[in-house]
Amino acid sequence: MPKYSKFTQQELPACKPILTPKWVVSVFFLVGIIFVPVGVVSLLAARDVVEIVDRYDDACVPANMTDNKLAYIQNPNISKDCTRTLTITEDMKQPIFVYYQLDNFYQNHRRYVKSRNDGQLRDAAKANQTSACEPEKTTADGKPIVPCGLIAWSLFNDTYSFTRGNENLTVDKKDISWKSDREHKFGKNVYPSNFQNGLLKGGGTLDPAIPLSEQEDLIVWMRTAALPTFRKLYGRIYVDLKKNDTITVRLSNNYNTYNFGGKKKLVLSTATWLGGKNDFLGFAYVIVGGLCFFLAFAFTLLYFIKPRKLGDHNYLSWNRHPAGR
Amino acid sequence: MDVPAKLPDPVPSPILRHSPSSGSAMSRSLRSVVDMPSVTFAADMRSDSTRGAESTASSFESFRRAGSRPVPGVARLPTRRSASERAGSQRDLRDEDARFVYINDAARTNAPPARFPDNSVRTTKYSVLTFIPRNLYEQFHRVAYVYFLILAALNQVPQLGVFSPVASVLPLAFVLGVTAVKDAYEDWRRHRSDKNENNRTASVMVDGVFRPKPWSDIHVGELVRVVANETLPCDMVLVSTSDPTGVAYSNLKTRYAKQETLTTPPEQLAGAAVIRCERPNRNIYGFTANLELEGGESRRIPLGPSNIVLRGCELKNTAWAVGVVVYAGRETKAMLNNAGAPSKRSRLETQMNRETLFLSAILVALCSVVAALSGVWLRNHEHDLELAQFFHKKDYVSDDGNGNYNYYGIAAQIVFAFLMAVIVFQIMIPISLYISMELVRLGQAYFMIRDTNLYDASSDTRFQCRSLNINEDLGQVRCVFSDKTGTLTQNKMEFRCASIEGVDYSDIARQQPVGEGDRIWVPKKMPVSVDREIVELLRNGGETEQGRHAREFFLALATCNTIVPLILDGPDPKRKIIDYQGESPDEQALVSAAAAYGFVLVERTSGHIVIDVLGEKQRFDVLGLHEFDSDRKRMSVIIGCPDKTVKLFVKGADNSMFGVIDKTMNPDVVRATEKHLHAYSSLGLRTLVIGMRELSQEEFQEWQMAYEKASTALLGRGGLLRGVAANIERNLRLLGASGIEDKLQDGVPEAIEKLRQAGIKVWVLTGDKQETAISIGFSCKLLTREMTQIVINSNSRDSCRKSLDDAISMVNKLRSLSTDSQARVPLALVIDGNSLVYIFDTDHEDKLFEVAIACDVVLCCRVAPLQKAGIVDLIKKRTSDMTLAIGDGANDVSMIQMADVGIGISGQEGRQAVMASDFAMGQFRFLVPLLLVHGHWNYQRMGYMILYNFYRNATFVFVLFWYVLHTGFTLTTAITEWSSVLYSVIYTAVPTIVVAILDKDLGRRTLLKYPQLYGAGQREESYNLRLFIFFMIDSIWQSLAVFFIPYLAYRKSTIDSASLGDLWTLAVVILVNIHLAMDVIRWNWITHAAIWGSIVATLICVMVIDSIPILPGFWAIYKVMGTGLFWALLLAVIVVGMVPHFVAKAIREHFLPNDIQIAREMEKSQDSHDVTHPEVQMNTMARA
Repeated sequence: MPKYSKFTQQELPACKPILTPKWVVSVFFLVGIIFVPVGVVSLLAARDVVEIVDRYDDACVPANMTDNKLAYIQNPNISKDCTRTLTITEDMKQPIFVYYQLDNFYQNHRRYVKSRNDGQLRDAAKANQTSACEPEKTTADGKPIVPCGLIAWSLFNDTYSFTRGNENLTVDKKDISWKSDREHKFGKNVYPSNFQNGLLKGGGTLDPAIPLSEQEDLIVWMRTAALPTFRKLYGRIYVDLKKNDTITVRLSNNYNTYNFGGKKKLVLSTATWLGGKNDFLGFAYVIVGGLCFFLAFAFTLLYFIKPRKLGDHNYLSWNRHPAGR
Repeated sequence: MDVPAKLPDPVPSPILRHSPSSGSAMSRSLRSVVDMPSVTFAADMRSDSTRGAESTASSFESFRRAGSRPVPGVARLPTRRSASERAGSQRDLRDEDARFVYINDAARTNAPPARFPDNSVRTTKYSVLTFIPRNLYEQFHRVAYVYFLILAALNQVPQLGVFSPVASVLPLAFVLGVTAVKDAYEDWRRHRSDKNENNRTASVMVDGVFRPKPWSDIHVGELVRVVANETLPCDMVLVSTSDPTGVAYSNLKTRYAKQETLTTPPEQLAGAAVIRCERPNRNIYGFTANLELEGGESRRIPLGPSNIVLRGCELKNTAWAVGVVVYAGRETKAMLNNAGAPSKRSRLETQMNRETLFLSAILVALCSVVAALSGVWLRNHEHDLELAQFFHKKDYVSDDGNGNYNYYGIAAQIVFAFLMAVIVFQIMIPISLYISMELVRLGQAYFMIRDTNLYDASSDTRFQCRSLNINEDLGQVRCVFSDKTGTLTQNKMEFRCASIEGVDYSDIARQQPVGEGDRIWVPKKMPVSVDREIVELLRNGGETEQGRHAREFFLALATCNTIVPLILDGPDPKRKIIDYQGESPDEQALVSAAAAYGFVLVERTSGHIVIDVLGEKQRFDVLGLHEFDSDRKRMSVIIGCPDKTVKLFVKGADNSMFGVIDKTMNPDVVRATEKHLHAYSSLGLRTLVIGMRELSQEEFQEWQMAYEKASTALLGRGGLLRGVAANIERNLRLLGASGIEDKLQDGVPEAIEKLRQAGIKVWVLTGDKQETAISIGFSCKLLTREMTQIVINSNSRDSCRKSLDDAISMVNKLRSLSTDSQARVPLALVIDGNSLVYIFDTDHEDKLFEVAIACDVVLCCRVAPLQKAGIVDLIKKRTSDMTLAIGDGANDVSMIQMADVGIGISGQEGRQAVMASDFAMGQFRFLVPLLLVHGHWNYQRMGYMILYNFYRNATFVFVLFWYVLHTGFTLTTAITEWSSVLYSVIYTAVPTIVVAILDKDLGRRTLLKYPQLYGAGQREESYNLRLFIFFMIDSIWQSLAVFFIPYLAYRKSTIDSASLGDLWTLAVVILVNIHLAMDVIRWNWITHAAIWGSIVATLICVMVIDSIPILPGFWAIYKVMGTGLFWALLLAVIVVGMVPHFVAKAIREHFLPNDIQIAREMEKSQDSHDVTHPEVQMNTMARA
């Protein structure tokens, strides 16, 4: 005789929820009640964010070279300095985040994301470990590049400085990267070597005297973006800006996005708990919440129009069609 | 009437006197299943009016066919045998087919080139060395695994390396590993039992003395001595036993040692005797051999199945027995029959393959889209890519700046993109589904085996799951084919009534309890009551005609059988209890009945029997015995009586007997007996007719010569013996007839009623005659009074066609009537074996099918085993209806193997049916909980699990796909590769398995109360193309929600791919788990643990992965979890993803409820009712 237990007889105590009209309506109602306020709050938060975006890649090309931007950017003899003037549209409370935004730059391209070696970045002893870094693995004479790989090689190297009138707005470039990256991912005793020595320069150079853990621009850059249009933190300005302030931006337009039709933008933005200026979330919450309210009412109506007694055995198919069998 | 063209040669019956009839009859039935194509049956349909009942359970194989066209489907029977095996059991032995066993001379026996294997057995599949290669080889028979292996191999090509080498093989390795562990465990258990088996000791003769020796060291040719209750180590021919007559018993079967060897001390047989036997084969009821004594005069003694004892049996009621090993180890019949369970594939799995093809098509479509778009993208950016920092087309380092790095032109890149896409999207075909299904079936089998409702206390048998592949088929059965004897009935025969010399003794009123009084001999299974009048007649009838006939009648019952009485010591020393051993329950019943009336069979030796006739011991010489065979359908003995007369007693089926009875002798008696027979069978009794003849001296001598000649013939022995029997069994005087009751098993009528309510058609296939079958049909509620019976019972082809046509027109008429009037007349078809033969021969199968499916009940009587398979095949071929066959005997094997689901009743008729079955259980009525409860659950669970697995993996793949569209079509995944590979094996695998094992859509009580709920499985409501499409649409919607809500929120932000990937991972895992949670019907603590545990486990896994500093995504999850946006998005994804499913569920459950939904609500309200009124629950429980 098999031993009897509630488990073997499949009779464990169990809860058997049923989707009764009451449940359906209350679930929709509840979701609506949560979602609409959250959505409104998010919308308000997003509205509070002040964001100034300035696309400068085209504007910074000298007028005589707009037909051949590639020649402009590739010619080391042409000065890449450029000045932009921004007008503040709303009051901006510090800290003001300075981002650069790249459009159409596939930092998530398979060739690109794979081309790095994280072991080399954290451990000075592993400088020779350059696997997966192709095609920026070693110099022509076979010396390992530190940091190797396409990602590091393509380091963004435009620089910005800001003045308001005569006042210099200092950009604080400390702590723009993740603390975890500085402490664990990029070695304190790993120094750049043979970097950007190849025929083709992908981007910025690194000071060989500074360890990787302090090369914050590199660290930020190497957190590859998820989407082809992305922003990266350049620094923070700890000064409140007033509406209609005029900011002068001096930038050096070094980074080549002309070869693939990318765009470069400078972004000044404040932040809230929700991040930057994106009201999608707010709208999404309000819409979903609204839809749930609608569904709650629709179902209430339906249940009134076409009520059904729960568990009425007259609804069983063989009772509905008694001649069936 | 056709002349028998060629009769199947039976197992030669070298044992002249004591062949247990039904045993060899069974062997024939088994063999005719197996050897069908080579056997030509003749149609000798005796067309006399009423056909007699059958004598024994095994006489079903009255199978004849005109011509040699094999029964449809026979070729599909899995049992295959070599030509030599067939020859061995069919014809007599030829030297080249024989094996020579020199008794007590193992060295000579095993001398080259013979070298027979020793007695060690190995049932394990693997050894330590071969495990890995062999197990892998077996696992890769699954096409899906080959697919995943190819993908893993492709991934190792540098250009296609999507995943790291370890990650790419992990899922496959995991699945292979789990299966391998399971297989290894099973094999280890087999190994352990083998070891135990091989290390058992037996006493073997070495140098003239018996010494203990491990089983594994026993060799062919050695002499082995076994004592009572010991298990036999190998197949042995009995040489001598403790019984002076050479009888030995092994598990109910009576075996004999030959007189010739009995007297010789075993050690002297060395060199003096050789056994020439057939090669090892699977036929456990057949054995052909000759014993050749080389001593003074060279003699050949035939040996047969009753001289061999088989490995695995136990010696019973015999102090000791010595035998010579003829087959050892893997060549023993037990091991040869130890083939694993049949391998079948469930319908759900077959259908699942169809959806797998759809998924493959979707997969190819996705990959093609990616490949094409990547081509377009490369073309549009052809000139940009050389310098684009993220592409870096040129390799400046190694090729002087001219070569390309990892770029082979657009065409090649498109191909690469396609292949990489296949690798990335591979889990569109759910790899873990196969292992999940295996685990789920194991779990379901566990619950079926443990179910106390499927446990038969009377025989102490549990439910057995022999095939683990078709659990879910139990939920879709539409047609049950049931054997009658032993399946619907208990196969416990009881003598009920007799007709002696035309006088009917069946009046219940005259029955009196058996008085034990001054009896010395008490049969173990005594009939409950006896007829007072017969007792009176026997005691005091003296010399009246009637009295003499009655005595002869009971003498015939006591002598004309193969029963062996065993005297047991009872509690009362004055009384001896007799246990009648024999294989035919009918004979046991008859002998017990004779004993109750004072004709006690007390002793049987090879030459005589002793019968206590009304208190006086008398010795009868058994001069000859013609064993039962299915052509004659009767058996006879020739008895030398104490008064020096020689009498022939014959008993057999009525149709066979009335052919050999001299009707002119007493026509009134014949007529009266026929009437009684009809009455008995209408009561559902099994009838037998008994006749006798006194033989004159010349007649006897003539017979004796023919008999001796026939029984020592080396060629065609069986046929000759049959001829001798047919020659003597004629001009018989009718003594009377007997009626034996075979009681219905418990709960059979209720079970059949439930099955019918569940929309399952029940077909009963029986060897009984029509009246008996119909009567049993009524008593088990298969037939009801309001049913219209269509009887097809024809003696010729033409009449058969005509009755079929009539039946069709009748069916059509009724059908047209029923369209307007709601009440439909239930129909029952009763058809007999003859008609079936004609129908199968003349290709009227379609017509039969048309009639049969219109009928609610089909009753086939007088069918042969192979016809049973043919009938099952008739339905299987023409409909998609799931068929289930249930039976208990060797004659049901073909049917059990033919049906989609085969169920064996582990009953009295041996293990043949069980060995061939997919499931085995103790009682017919267990079919109800098995199908209605477990079948329903299994089907519903498995169907949902397959759909859910498809949906779950597709959702993940679609999320990956949307992302790939934003990466320049380069198959990058934001989700870490580890999460991708762990997704289907860890993140989401456990809940679906747990739910598929434990969830119950309805409780047992409800399912049994409303058998109609079973229809859900028959209508394929839990798994069909429509549901699949719904799941896929849901999957696409949810993947859109998972991908695009975070995408839109993080557009133009600093989000890095690792953080976004983690969000997507968690979102999709939580979403699919919530989807499952929403569909779970019963939440117990295990379900809670599995579902919520999986989500937590996923979070932990993601955290662990993000804690590895050398992975690019280091610390991302901690970082992103610290932002409010993350949580807001997660909530939004889940709500948006679930809304359509929730709305659809709410609408479906409330406005379009199916039966299961209504029943669930009833169950729920019942439950809440029970809580408030607990005493009511007790009442309903009692009623249910």
